[in-house]
Amino acid sequence: MSTIIELGDVKKHYMLGTTKVEALRGVSFQITRGEFTAIAGPSGSGKSTILNMVGCIDNPSSGTIIIGGDDVSGLSDKRLTKYRRSTISFIFQSFNLIPVLNVYENIELPLLLEKGMNEADRKAHVMQLIEEVGLTDRIKNKPNQLSGGQRQRVAIARALVTKPLVVLADEPTANLDSVTGAKILELMEDLNKRQGTTFVFSTHDHTIMDKARRVISIQDGLITSDVSKAGLAV
Amino acid sequence: MRDLFKPAAIRIALRSILRRKVRMLLIGSLVTIGTFLIVFGGTFASSAQSESKKAIVGYFTGDLELYSNRSKEVPSPFSFTTPLPVVEDSRKIEAWLDGNPDVQSFVSIGQNYGLISIEKDGNKLDLPILFYAVDTARYQKTFDNLQVTTGQYFGAEGSATSQGILLSEAQKKAYHDKYGVTLEPGQKVTLLSLTGGGSVNAVPSQVLGYFAPRHYSNVFDYINFMDMRTYSSLFNFTGITSGSLPTSMNDAFAATSDDAIFDLADTAAFDKLDVAALSKEDLTGSTQIAIKLKDSSRAEAFLKDVEAQGFQVKSIPWNKASSFFASVADILQAVIYGATFLIFLIVVFILMNTLIINILERTGEIGTLRAIGADKSFVSAIFLWESILLNLFAAIVGIGLSLLLIASFGSGGVKLPDIVAQYLVGGGALKLVISPVPFLTGVGLVLVVSFLATLYPIRVAVNVSPLKAMSGN
Repeated sequence: MSTIIELGDVKKHYMLGTTKVEALRGVSFQITRGEFTAIAGPSGSGKSTILNMVGCIDNPSSGTIIIGGDDVSGLSDKRLTKYRRSTISFIFQSFNLIPVLNVYENIELPLLLEKGMNEADRKAHVMQLIEEVGLTDRIKNKPNQLSGGQRQRVAIARALVTKPLVVLADEPTANLDSVTGAKILELMEDLNKRQGTTFVFSTHDHTIMDKARRVISIQDGLITSDVSKAGLAV
Repeated sequence: MRDLFKPAAIRIALRSILRRKVRMLLIGSLVTIGTFLIVFGGTFASSAQSESKKAIVGYFTGDLELYSNRSKEVPSPFSFTTPLPVVEDSRKIEAWLDGNPDVQSFVSIGQNYGLISIEKDGNKLDLPILFYAVDTARYQKTFDNLQVTTGQYFGAEGSATSQGILLSEAQKKAYHDKYGVTLEPGQKVTLLSLTGGGSVNAVPSQVLGYFAPRHYSNVFDYINFMDMRTYSSLFNFTGITSGSLPTSMNDAFAATSDDAIFDLADTAAFDKLDVAALSKEDLTGSTQIAIKLKDSSRAEAFLKDVEAQGFQVKSIPWNKASSFFASVADILQAVIYGATFLIFLIVVFILMNTLIINILERTGEIGTLRAIGADKSFVSAIFLWESILLNLFAAIVGIGLSLLLIASFGSGGVKLPDIVAQYLVGGGALKLVISPVPFLTGVGLVLVVSFLATLYPIRVAVNVSPLKAMSGN
């Protein structure tokens, strides 16, 4: 399996007034294509910071981040935006759908940001994803007309629409009840298995961790364990 | 702004406007008012300007006036007590104007003042009078502005009514209120003047009647009319020109001492005065000549022709000759544009403020857009379109309302209070003439306002980090 994400001694610190806060204190790991990996840890441990770095929406203070063979740690905003458009996708804890767009339009939006796909192909692709996430009867609905679970399904479809190298999910079930959360996780797992999409998600929920095939535990900005489903340290 | 025309940006912008209806309605209303002010106000002001010119040229000054180049002042409807110097060569100028193909009509005017002397209860009473002395037929042909209310207008040359004075109704009232006198049409009066030589001159005359001005009553209520022949007698504008006098006589006028004058008696030609050689004085007492051209746009070329003739005159265009009247419409336009500018300035700040509030409320949404790969230009396009779409829609409503109002006045025009109408367009209703300028100005200004008001908010929006997506929507 090929490595698609590689973090090498990534450190990140913030300044809170005059106080230096070290969010990451030297994190290194690799993700290979097709993984279904959880980054686990308590609140404030640094798991979201890792996702932000991998997702090219935040820069490390030091260290290297290689995505798809390219070092993205020092790229300009424009280049990082392009990476986010073509290589990485997000699923947010709060779903983050565009409120004025309906289900179809929300899912279609990332495709409209990049030229390349003709209208007919785009429509077919979006419709296929809508079908896969089970929202065929909700195409015209706006986010405020959907339940939490339905919104997260839209977010998943939106994340997959550009066929990214990796989908990053920041506590994707945190705002859902346990039943809906489990269904969303099942959907992600199913898509991972059927389409081979790489998923990396942060969580502090043990139920979700149990579903992951690899769990990278982090505490106080340092990796404390990195365990695969088989129980072997990676 | 490579993403400016991306349909997705326009769609998000349009729906975001609809999502915030009340706030956007407030801004839209202000833009509508501003556009209405520009379009209706601009149409009103430009119509007032063109109607004002038409009225001033048509009833007041003509396209231009010629006046003596010895004059230190310019002709004005108010310069009675210090009349301008008379125009020299006025007969020659009149003859030249008569044959000029550019000239539609003209009239020489002697602007002056004097007294009407009458007897009341056995006592002499002198009534002050400001007047235009005119070639009465030419005046009527050039400025058909006098509506005779009592008595009659000046008769044809040689008739019993060709000479006299025609008084304004306002003058009649003023004499009645101040002196308890009402001059009747046909009444014989004596006119008195202070001649250039300092002596008082008196000529018998008659009151022909009264008139009411059709336009610019605020000027012509105070001006009365006199025929040119009576005026010439009253001010001694008859005689011979110094140029046609014998040389010896002119020498005598120029002599510097008594001896020099007596020495002239010894010259051979001194006692020979050839009466036939004397020409009539080429001086009518006109202080200005008002000229209407067939084509106003030819005024400049016409003035070059005047200059080429070597007449001893200067010229003044209609808008200067009418004193401040021509500038009333300009002032109105300036006030309208000033008010509009203020409204739009307020709109810029309110719009800017509202857009910033929108952005602060939507940092999660902007962060999400950035996180899923939207460039800064895409975010800019959304907010620019929000501003443009809202303001254009409001502008269209403003234009529509303006057109409705303009149409509602119809061909009759806007009926203004008389005092306003007199100053603005010389009286009567103001006909509104639709011109594209106010419409284009309105739309152009709205686009500029949209752009200006969006500059800073866009700067704020594009600087929203994609990290904001992580903090929720």
